[in-house]
Amino acid sequence: MMAEEIIPAVQINNLTKIFPVPFRKEKVIAVNDLSLCVEAGEVYGLIGPNGSGKSTTMKVLLGLISATSGSSAVFGLSSSETASRGSVGFLPENPYFYKYLTGAETLSFYGKLCGLSRRKIKERTSELLSLVDLENAKDRRLGGYSKGMLQRIGLAQALVGDPRLVVLDEPTAGVDPAGSRKIRDLIIELKQRGISVILSSHLLEQVQEVCDRVGIIFEGKLVKEGKLEELIEIESQTEIILEHAEPKILDQINELVQASEETRVLRSGKPKTTLERLFLKETGAESEDVRKDS
Amino acid sequence: MSADKVKSVKEDFVVPHKLFSLSRVWAIALNTFTQLVRMKVFYFMLIFSVLIIGANFLFLNFTFEQELKILKDVSFGAMTLFASIFSIVGTALLIPKDIEDRTLYTILTKPVPRFEYLVGKLIGIILLVAVSLVLMSFLFFAVLYFRQHAILAEEIKMIRGGATDAQKEYLKETIFAQGVSPELILGVLAVFLKAAVAAGVALVVSTFASSTLFTIIVSLVVYFIGHAQSLALEYYFPDGQMYGALQTFIAGIVAVVFPNLQMFNIFDGIITGQSISTTLMLRLIGLTGFYLTIYSMISWILFAKKEL
Repeated sequence: MMAEEIIPAVQINNLTKIFPVPFRKEKVIAVNDLSLCVEAGEVYGLIGPNGSGKSTTMKVLLGLISATSGSSAVFGLSSSETASRGSVGFLPENPYFYKYLTGAETLSFYGKLCGLSRRKIKERTSELLSLVDLENAKDRRLGGYSKGMLQRIGLAQALVGDPRLVVLDEPTAGVDPAGSRKIRDLIIELKQRGISVILSSHLLEQVQEVCDRVGIIFEGKLVKEGKLEELIEIESQTEIILEHAEPKILDQINELVQASEETRVLRSGKPKTTLERLFLKETGAESEDVRKDS
Repeated sequence: MSADKVKSVKEDFVVPHKLFSLSRVWAIALNTFTQLVRMKVFYFMLIFSVLIIGANFLFLNFTFEQELKILKDVSFGAMTLFASIFSIVGTALLIPKDIEDRTLYTILTKPVPRFEYLVGKLIGIILLVAVSLVLMSFLFFAVLYFRQHAILAEEIKMIRGGATDAQKEYLKETIFAQGVSPELILGVLAVFLKAAVAAGVALVVSTFASSTLFTIIVSLVVYFIGHAQSLALEYYFPDGQMYGALQTFIAGIVAVVFPNLQMFNIFDGIITGQSISTTLMLRLIGLTGFYLTIYSMISWILFAKKEL
């Protein structure tokens, strides 16, 4: 689409955020001259250790705090404008919602804030409850929801306004592997729908599974950024995974390698599945693609 | 690509946004109201019922005038107490909690201007105070109505040889003068207006306070000083005249920071049978509107750039 080529979902230019320390002269530089761009339809992973500036960057982007210098924009609209939030859905880290509301009431409340009509709210509520697999819990108050259910209702509220950009801050924090996998699947579904996603997570494997591009942030600076494939590729190595390999074939390969001057085998053996996949398989929560992979 | 084309493409992405939306404000207000109702605040009605029904049985040796006066006193006192507690504690409980729990993030990252959030919260609290006062008034008027009829029946019964029509009429007139009257509704309205101003004070405090406890303490201090404000002004300016711009300015600041809440205590007069002028009521309504506007604006100024 032409529009997607022109206006990035997120454009952050030379962003710096300094927090003063009360009663002290020194200041904390949370984000230092950070620039990044997320194209429309892209899933962008923002990773970094605790306190590296990920959440601060997201807060500036969402207008919750103001930048000390630099700029940030969502689909061309400055983050300081309330209108920029019309295209955004946000799931904060460890979200708390109004525990006295039911799941359906929660989505209806956020739908009203997005300016949706009564009919549209009804449609979206039903659609999203189904998407996040909470149809059976829609009339239960959030006070009785588990951590995973709260994350999923949080994701649903982020999507209620039909956003073009979804910002997810640690969406799988404290969620069990099956819940985590569900959230991963939802992110993939968002991507398929053409929705841009910024994802901050400590679960690097999950970031690797869903993100198109990744930015590594450390001490407020973006120290590395690029397409995931390019970032993690080890140029000097090649991997071949064989299925039902006969010993004769393996011997031939070894002979060829030994005949070569530069090539050498670094490691060979049976590939391992991940603990997550094993857990999902054993607890019966595996999805189709997990079954295929393992 | 031409600039026009770029502009039109940019406009495709811009979601129409209303600078101020009553429906968003109402959604926040209704949510606030629902939240407080589900926190079971209406259990206070049990305490209120016990208080006013108890007031009927505690003072049996008094004259009927004193008895009805005590009933009205206790009821208005309890209504003022509950309405003020709801307005201050409700505001102090909800806004700092939204910030602490980060629920506010999910609201303000929707296209909701911060001013709408504050006004919505304030309206929600005021709505709760209004509903609770309506419920208390119904109970109060019902008890008073039954009590005045019961007293009339007792007084008629006590006249030896049976009361004449003239005696009955006299007793009815005298007793009912202390009973249910339209003035009582004005008294309840004044209680409501005072609680609304108290909610405004708590709103301002909660925008810069770091905790619920701090908000409650500061708001209560302002609330109590507000009752003594008029006395202080009378003491310092006995003839009501302020000399010079500085005095007027200081008095103005004091009047904004500490609203004159004593002005709203008109129920003392109502209980003793004084009539309330329309001018006074309009003045109280105007004053409440003025305070709520000022407090909403101050809250917005403090909250607009608050780092969350």
